Amino acid sequence: MDANTALALSLPFGLAIAALASAFALGRAVSAAMDAMARQPEAAPKIQVAMIIGCAFIEALTIYAFVIAFLSMAKIQAVH
Amino acid sequence: MSGSESSSQELANFIGITVKGLGDSGLGIFLHRWENVIFSLIAVVFLSLMAYFAQRNRSFVPERRLQNMVEVLVESLSNFVSGVLGEKEGRHYLPYIGTLFLYILIMNFMGMVPGMKSPTSSLNTTVALALCTFIYVQYTGIRRLGMIGYLDHMAGSPRMPEEKGVFKIFLILLFIPIHILLFIIHIIGEFVKPVSLSLRLFGNITGEDALLYVFVMLGLSMFSAWKSPVGFPLQIPIMFLSLIGGAVQAMVFSLLSAVYISMMLPHHEEVKH
Repeated sequence: MDANTALALSLPFGLAIAALASAFALGRAVSAAMDAMARQPEAAPKIQVAMIIGCAFIEALTIYAFVIAFLSMAKIQAVH
Repeated sequence: MSGSESSSQELANFIGITVKGLGDSGLGIFLHRWENVIFSLIAVVFLSLMAYFAQRNRSFVPERRLQNMVEVLVESLSNFVSGVLGEKEGRHYLPYIGTLFLYILIMNFMGMVPGMKSPTSSLNTTVALALCTFIYVQYTGIRRLGMIGYLDHMAGSPRMPEEKGVFKIFLILLFIPIHILLFIIHIIGEFVKPVSLSLRLFGNITGEDALLYVFVMLGLSMFSAWKSPVGFPLQIPIMFLSLIGGAVQAMVFSLLSAVYISMMLPHHEEVKH
């Protein structure tokens, strides 16, 4: 396997793994926040703000993988 | 990162088309190099004009639509910042955080206007914004806590105001290695903040723009058998996603800036009994 093939195979795969983990984490975070908001609707704005901060931190990890994929994509040379 | 390697993943904008027409002339190179700056200046001009027209012959009870709209916007931004920083501090830091929100929001939405481009889909713009927040946070810390207080905060408060006498000196000496370690960790943390802020915004907006590009190309290829110049508007649902995503990312950036500022402010929890 040469470097091109390795990159082309691993970039989408790495992004998929990052997205999978982040989707699990986001699902847990949002479901807990929904639970809390349903129990205490009067605290909804505060919970929402905290949830969005948490979601941003979780989602950032996928974005790092995406940025790495984006930067390494330039290293794949087109084979004619 | 240069903008040229990512330009194939974006929809055409009017500066890109002009550059292609101009070729290798001086103006063409200038426009190509300053593309993102020109687009962010368009956002600045738009916001400035909106603010100017909203405050011109304003009335105490707003009758005009623009003044009403801007007042609602400013009030909700004020509530949003006050929710994080508290009533008094919120009003003080509203101009910075509110400007950041509006500016990033307009820049994110520019990618959906035909012939325009999101300046935030370039790492240069987002790093500049994140560095503004970084410097402002450090400035706030030094100004509000003082130089000694700032270093004390960075080292995890080794001064221990609640202890007294010889025991206090003993405790401070005991914890010196921990505080040195905490100081290093805090400094690394401060430098990671702008990195994560800029990469988050850049990655999200670039992803949205690349998605729009892919769907426009898919829509074009649907009618390519008839050599149609316009494609099927497949990108419409993605544009709604971009609307939500752009607003959320602008909110996250300003919210995190507010949180970083609030972490630097002096704490008021200690109530004397």
